[in-house]
Amino acid sequence: MDLTPRPSEPSKKPRKWLPIILLSLVGVGGIVIVTQFLTSAIDYYCNVDEIGVRSGCEESTRLRVQGTVEQNSLQKTGSKTNFVMTFNDKSINVVYSGDPGGVFQECISVVAHGRMIDGTFESNRIEVKHSNEYAEKNADRIESSGSAACSQAQG
Amino acid sequence: MSQVLQRTSPTGTRATRVIGATSILVMAWVVISGLLLTPQDVVQGESVRIMYVHVPSAWIAYLAFIFTAVASASWLISKKHSMGFDRFAGASAEVGVMFMAITLVTGSLWGRLTWGEFWQWDPRLTTTAFLFVTYIGYLAVRRLEGSIEQRARRSAVVAMLAVLEIPLVHFSVVLWRSLHQGATVLNPNGDVKMDDLMLFTLFSGVVGFTLVFIWLVLHRQRTMLLVDVANNQGLDAAIVARRAERSAN
Repeated sequence: MDLTPRPSEPSKKPRKWLPIILLSLVGVGGIVIVTQFLTSAIDYYCNVDEIGVRSGCEESTRLRVQGTVEQNSLQKTGSKTNFVMTFNDKSINVVYSGDPGGVFQECISVVAHGRMIDGTFESNRIEVKHSNEYAEKNADRIESSGSAACSQAQG
Repeated sequence: MSQVLQRTSPTGTRATRVIGATSILVMAWVVISGLLLTPQDVVQGESVRIMYVHVPSAWIAYLAFIFTAVASASWLISKKHSMGFDRFAGASAEVGVMFMAITLVTGSLWGRLTWGEFWQWDPRLTTTAFLFVTYIGYLAVRRLEGSIEQRARRSAVVAMLAVLEIPLVHFSVVLWRSLHQGATVLNPNGDVKMDDLMLFTLFSGVVGFTLVFIWLVLHRQRTMLLVDVANNQGLDAAIVARRAERSAN
């Protein structure tokens, strides 16, 4: 049986443009993400002890620095928040313009964005880095230790 | 053809109804336990409850994409090239993309509460976004013009390449410095530091989401079968027309 299409019957199927447009958008999205990965994600931050030591962590540049907020160092004066950030026994003083809010507290890991100016890290953005530990909130334990993160760190 | 349609529609079977009912029960427990019974986290407070959706949806998205790759490989390797493998691959990828979207949205909400930002270009988030975009591309490839065999071949190759991104996403927090926390349950030393009820609810979520995944994939691959059958009806109609012409001559 001859099943070849009749020449007098042109195909009425319109070209499917949606998948082609979608694939183009996916290509553009992929390029944007890879670009962001190469410029931002690979070296997301420097540790406190690497400032001025490791390549890419020079004091003269804007940095993202990771460390732990030292216990009993947190002070709020006016619109500024002062604290000491420590990593591998190295510490720096941090001044943040504003209230970090959220779950920011003592003994918690943070990534501060800013610059080293006269030995103090002046930050205008702080991100809290949560640990992979999850524990029940215990009011008594929190009161005795002063900070939830410190009580978790102390076990 | 109509017999095939009658046999495959509706898409439900006794097995899917049992899976559906069980998933409703498990998910009801996850909602009750996650919102009411589990305690607040000592640091995160109430926002820890997002974890009961975020983590299972991420795991199920991985599972879905691995299943897509396995089904795609089965289609390529099998001598008969059964289209059932291709339909399972496509259905699993669609459901996986949905779970990946849930992962990104819930993670973004958690990030706003914990980090203070909805989005960060850190290794885990960036690689996850790339995985999500890749599988949207996979779904677009499935909708390109061509026969169902061409669709199956193209998408199988894409699926087997795309699945290689999953180890990169999972180990991104180890390979690079990430704002995202490391693995809690799947950490290498096996020491799970999580409250018992939190952990149980998390595992319940994984079970519930897995059942939902199976239910959705079974139904979706059957609707895909119906679409393929409907698309082939044009060929059947042509055969009938030619036969009618021949008998008329």
